[in-house]
Amino acid sequence: MAPTLPDLFVHPLRGVLERLPAHAGATLEEIRVRENRPLEIGYAGRHSFVRPDGTLTTEYRQAYSPGREDCRALLERVTNHSLYAVEEELRRGYITVGGGHRVGLAGRAVLDRGAVAHLRDIGGFNVRIARARTGCASDLLPGILDLPARTVKHTLIVSPPQQGKTTLLRDLVRSVSAGEWHHPAAAGWGGRKVGVVDERSEIAACEAGVPTFDLGPRCDVLDACPKAEGIMMMIRSLSPDVVAVDEIGRPEDAAALREALHAGVRVLATAHASGLEDLFARPVLSGLAEEGVFGAYVFLARTGSKVEHRIVSAENAAREIKARPKPAIRSPDSLPAERRGL
Amino acid sequence: MMQWAGAMLVLFAGTMIGFMQAARFAARPRQIRQLLHALQRLETEIQYGQTPLPAALSRLSGIVPPPVSGLFAEISADLSVRSGITVRESWERAIEAGWSRTAMKRPEREALARLGATLGGSGREDQLKHVRLAMLQLQAEEAAARDEQQRYEKMSRSLGMLGAALVVILML
Repeated sequence: MAPTLPDLFVHPLRGVLERLPAHAGATLEEIRVRENRPLEIGYAGRHSFVRPDGTLTTEYRQAYSPGREDCRALLERVTNHSLYAVEEELRRGYITVGGGHRVGLAGRAVLDRGAVAHLRDIGGFNVRIARARTGCASDLLPGILDLPARTVKHTLIVSPPQQGKTTLLRDLVRSVSAGEWHHPAAAGWGGRKVGVVDERSEIAACEAGVPTFDLGPRCDVLDACPKAEGIMMMIRSLSPDVVAVDEIGRPEDAAALREALHAGVRVLATAHASGLEDLFARPVLSGLAEEGVFGAYVFLARTGSKVEHRIVSAENAAREIKARPKPAIRSPDSLPAERRGL
Repeated sequence: MMQWAGAMLVLFAGTMIGFMQAARFAARPRQIRQLLHALQRLETEIQYGQTPLPAALSRLSGIVPPPVSGLFAEISADLSVRSGITVRESWERAIEAGWSRTAMKRPEREALARLGATLGGSGREDQLKHVRLAMLQLQAEEAAARDEQQRYEKMSRSLGMLGAALVVILML
């Protein structure tokens, strides 16, 4: 099995995962552990259950089912034996472990004055394996260059979950900070200073403040920092040319992005949406899109282990949306934020 | 001549046994106090530092003298080498292995073992409650241990010497 298997699993679960077929092990994306339910893995865009001997099956009744002890040990590993130290992460529902692997958690929510305080009785884990794909942004980068300004355009990478947004963003950051523009006109530009606000610790996977992924020579990382605040801190103190953030979507993120724009900083961001229409239906994102904040949109589509991207410039995106007939019924979510009283 | 030498030896040995017994009576409250210090520090680490348990325990082992420090150092090392052990297991193992090196008795051991079974497994508030509960129990034990020390420390010292003297008199 590839060495990417996080050092999280212990016997007997580890034994099962170590016996996975080589092709699945090498392309492993997700390991889903649910207490007393079948063990499932996601690899190369597919999903499969795992038998106790490590072979794959579509028949869930034959699958290995992790027990209470398996889950308890996994939780201890994920939280570094200290549930009390990760309450903030539990509130958000995931913990990022060493190597940038993100562990999503399912359990019983504990409320404090109506808001989720943390999770208890955790019985479901989704371990997402982080991979660096050096060079995966090299086809894309020439398409989002702003040649007159000698830098990148404000770019939003859009796709549904699990299509490789973060992986692509990571390589974009690396290319920009290393000055690998892959464009003849940009040959002498050199690298740009890149600031990464890594709220989920997924882009850089910092350990003790040092990125474990290669992000190029001119990159600063604000680890585990809330995006909105982080962008402002970045601009104030670290003078970046380009700011990269993951998964924007909250109103305060939008405000910070506008701020960055007017501070002369280029922004690389990602967001969840399945396509252009979806993007314009999400309240915060549609606000940003209608204002023309972004210069280019990148849509990802994935078949198997191959990721394809489509670059849409802001003008084309606006035209495309206008050309389409409006849906007859608009859900309240699709109204602009101010009309919903937000 | 030989007889005198033997008598001296018996006297010396008896006195030593008495002194060692007395030292144990004196060491118990002292070690409980050190344990309390350590738990107080753990409370701070959990509440303000949110330090992960392995790091917190290794810090604890730095602030108390041996043999109490050994307990924490062992658990911390156990957890850090990532052998897949749970806190409860390593805690029990460390107490099992290291307890005889301390002068502490059963009630303290139980209080500490109970704490180990819950540590790291719940939210901050809950953890603090468990640590405080263990501290309360230890404080009660400390008072009892001091009481015992006052009552028995001097006595066992004299008893050792007097017992040895009795043996010598009987032998002569």
